[in-house]
Amino acid sequence: MADRAEIVEAYADWRTRCNDNERLRRMLRGWDRVVHLVATDTGDRFTVVVADQRLAALADGAEAVADLVVTATSEDFADLFWGDLNPSEKYMSGEITLAGAQEDVMRLDAMSMVAFLDQ
Amino acid sequence: MTDPVLRRALGLRTVVSTSAGLAFAAIEYLAAAGLVAYVAGDSAWIAVATAGLLALVAWGCFGELNGMFPTAAAIRLYMKRSMDDRVALIITFTYLTTIVLVVAADAFIVGSAIAHVWGQSTWVAGPVIAVLLGAAVASNLRGVKVAGGVQDIATYLVLATTTVVAVTALVRSHRALRFPLSPLHGHTPGDFLEAVALGVFLFSAFEWVTTSAEEVRRPPDIHRGMLIALGVLVLVCSLITVAMSHVLDHHQLVSAYPQLFLGHAAFGPAGLWLMAVITAATAVNTFNGGFITASRFIYATAREGSLPPLLARLNDRAVPWVPVVGLGAISLIVSLVVAATGSWAVLVAVGAALEAMIYAVAAFCTVRLRTRLPDQPRPFGLPAPRLVGVAGVVVFGGLAVTASVSVSNHFNLVPLVVIAVGAGLACLYVLVVLPRVQAAEEARRAARGRRRPPRPPVEAPAPAPAAERPGPT
Repeated sequence: MADRAEIVEAYADWRTRCNDNERLRRMLRGWDRVVHLVATDTGDRFTVVVADQRLAALADGAEAVADLVVTATSEDFADLFWGDLNPSEKYMSGEITLAGAQEDVMRLDAMSMVAFLDQ
Repeated sequence: MTDPVLRRALGLRTVVSTSAGLAFAAIEYLAAAGLVAYVAGDSAWIAVATAGLLALVAWGCFGELNGMFPTAAAIRLYMKRSMDDRVALIITFTYLTTIVLVVAADAFIVGSAIAHVWGQSTWVAGPVIAVLLGAAVASNLRGVKVAGGVQDIATYLVLATTTVVAVTALVRSHRALRFPLSPLHGHTPGDFLEAVALGVFLFSAFEWVTTSAEEVRRPPDIHRGMLIALGVLVLVCSLITVAMSHVLDHHQLVSAYPQLFLGHAAFGPAGLWLMAVITAATAVNTFNGGFITASRFIYATAREGSLPPLLARLNDRAVPWVPVVGLGAISLIVSLVVAATGSWAVLVAVGAALEAMIYAVAAFCTVRLRTRLPDQPRPFGLPAPRLVGVAGVVVFGGLAVTASVSVSNHFNLVPLVVIAVGAGLACLYVLVVLPRVQAAEEARRAARGRRRPPRPPVEAPAPAPAAERPGPT
């Protein structure tokens, strides 16, 4: 089980990789979204805001309305942000669940793929 | 703690229009006209209604499975849990063929209809098909998606106009219906069975709306929406088949655009143009839904490691461009072959067989998961699941076999050969190529290593100094 601090640290690394990736920033053009993260095992909730082709710092809680809700274990969130976990694999096995539009789901997966694999 | 609220979510109206719109492709008109050959006079509606009743079984199965796995990846999840994953992948890849067939068929039908209303010879359909598919690929590559509202309007317009045209054509014929209640008059029970198999094809793709399970405002809207869509489709398809059998002659029924003749019978030349526009409107849903559903599924399967990573490459608009271009190219080849050979009836038979096959698979998964996952919550349950589910496997399996060996009321093995070639290629890939793809992916992962820093070891509490230990008292 990953605690809050581990997820925040992992996200900070992911955020830097995403914001420093020129190709990814082109892919995020016009994609301003609010994403909620819900950890099933710890009950922790976070909010990720994407605006002006950049990711904002991870915010605690999930109060506002969201475009996309990602539900996973805290370990999966930490592994995902470190790039050690393929979110599609977990999604196709039903371990990560999502709520939101398919194109938003695609965009979120693209972020993780381009940030680490640069495909 | 309250559940998160989604900013954008689909309501029941859009679920119904998506389900009905995906099913009501342009090939619907050709399948309806083809069905008329198997039953007597104006009783084609009985075959459509029977197929609608059978589709209710499929609806119950998809409703239950969707409730258990409310995700776009549901087909992978329930098949993986019901059978060997390699078998599941072979079936899934073969099923994807249906999407290519429907997109190709729509391009061919719309192209042929446009060439006809322009008064051009049939070869003009080829360039029109290429332009249509090129436009669909280009808009997909640019990330253009038809908004829910536009899709609603397009679907309801197509269904309402088709209904009005069919009713008007019947009324204006000024002739009483012939044999409206005797489907077997001059035909065999086998003919009726084949008519029902084609009738099942009229509803094909209504279940694709389950891939929107993550987008709906209320999860039960998916199975409710599918049920309403089936009801609407039974009504509209029954009207079209009866109107076509009553108003059109044999030459018109076997043409590539019977709906244009139906429009002409209802409203004269204006009706012909009206139905040409309506035929083009059906492509909005087919190209939008077909391309997006298939390309995103291929992308996700490639990301999962079950297809080569090349298929997960994205363009700068986060669109998986290789699957989109590939689907466009294959659809173009198929539709041009159909245009050149005039073999659209084979396309209809292959689609009908594959659709019946996937319904049989859904029924099998429903029954199998009742045993394997008895405790998993089922927000919606198929009534009498073992009885109805097993009946679904038998009936849809039988219809799949029937549809695969018949074209236009004649014994013909071409559909079966086409399906066998598709399934063979899927087998070859899954058994020979996939292990190599997976091994390469494992090697890439091992080379990357783990980035996550190891957790510092938890320090064990230091033992208390001997001097401070409490001594025996």
